[in-house]
Amino acid sequence: MKPLPRFQYHAPTTVDEALLLLTTLDQAKLFTGGTDLVPLLREAACSPSHLVDLNKVAELNYIREDSGFICIGATATLTNVAVSLIASVAPALVDAVSRIGSPQIRNRATITGNLCNASPAADSAPPLLVHEAEVTIKSLDDTRIIPLDDLFAGPKLNSLEPDELVTEIRFPVPPQGAASSYKRIGRRKAFTLSVVSAAAYVEMNGGEVKEARLAFGSVAETPIRTPDVEVMLRGEILTDGLLVEAAEAVKCSVAPITDVRGTAEYRRDMCGVLLKRALSEAVERAR
Amino acid sequence: MMINFELNGQPTTVEVEPYTILADMLRDELDIKSVKKGCEQGECGACTLLLDGNPVASCLVLAPQVEGRRVTTLEGLEKNPLMIDLREAFVENGAVQCGFCTPGMLISAYALLRDNPHPTEHEVKRGIEGNICRCTGFTKILEAILDAAERVSPE
Repeated sequence: MKPLPRFQYHAPTTVDEALLLLTTLDQAKLFTGGTDLVPLLREAACSPSHLVDLNKVAELNYIREDSGFICIGATATLTNVAVSLIASVAPALVDAVSRIGSPQIRNRATITGNLCNASPAADSAPPLLVHEAEVTIKSLDDTRIIPLDDLFAGPKLNSLEPDELVTEIRFPVPPQGAASSYKRIGRRKAFTLSVVSAAAYVEMNGGEVKEARLAFGSVAETPIRTPDVEVMLRGEILTDGLLVEAAEAVKCSVAPITDVRGTAEYRRDMCGVLLKRALSEAVERAR
Repeated sequence: MMINFELNGQPTTVEVEPYTILADMLRDELDIKSVKKGCEQGECGACTLLLDGNPVASCLVLAPQVEGRRVTTLEGLEKNPLMIDLREAFVENGAVQCGFCTPGMLISAYALLRDNPHPTEHEVKRGIEGNICRCTGFTKILEAILDAAERVSPE
């Protein structure tokens, strides 16, 4: 069987130590869950000289509520997220992570890894986009917080500098009357990449949609929000007629491609279907 | 590099290169042959073991990552009552054909029943979604796990 390419292994125990390694080492690659990276190493699609493993950095392993935000540390696994307080505040995210890979994968893979790999199909991205998540990025001499959308630079491309490290993903604790939902279509239910995915977030005021946010995966170069469709929903009562209108409108807001998993036409159509399913469920959950 | 960890309850020290995969270290250096190498991409589940009690695909774990941690393979569960129930249920329900997926399947089933002693059929399916069997079509494996759940004596 194919051996891994040779690399030096580093297991820092603090963020500062990790940042120093990233700054001083040539061709260093960060490692959290390894569920995407190890297959890439094996195929020699990626051959770093150094691997910097964050798993021993205790200060990055947490999920907590802090100053009105739900904060997810860089090494929190998908399983950690699925069984955390997040289920009650951001059900869309738990819907999404419970369907990624298998138990064996979810016990290793991290949210930050899923996002930093910047796959257009990343399942954790649409839910975090509709929850208006932010990303905390550290380097030796700077800390910056950017909207999640700005982390995605293109297919499998993130906007991080080589000496930067994502330490945390956070999103605001939603107000009363808010709820979210995530729906996806894959070639089967278990252990498969999404062909199309959709997340919906609503804040309800009685029967009225006070706030609506929608995001889609696998329909553009990066996971995207669809602001044009969100505008149609705000301040409205969600009738069947409005659902159909929104489902039609979303088809013009996405730009899917045809690949081995599905055609552009299919993906476009399914955006409408998933919008209806996710939005209806989010409204139902908000009751 | 030297790696110190707990393997099936025994403190273990082994010297490996840092780019060694856990599954390889266990099979080649420590003679743990229940850990099978199938896809080596984390998809087939044949290399499943427990890392600090949680099922993981050992083909995706680097050997140095188990430093100071607890690794449990089928060998370490030979006398475990739940594993004995599972093993017998697998045999009696014909849930084993070629046997290649069996160790991984048993580890996933063990973790499932340990955390959820009376799962529904759907929960069993979710529990073994990371383990592929190319022989049985899963039906007999599903039946065996549900059968084992019946055997587990109430605590």
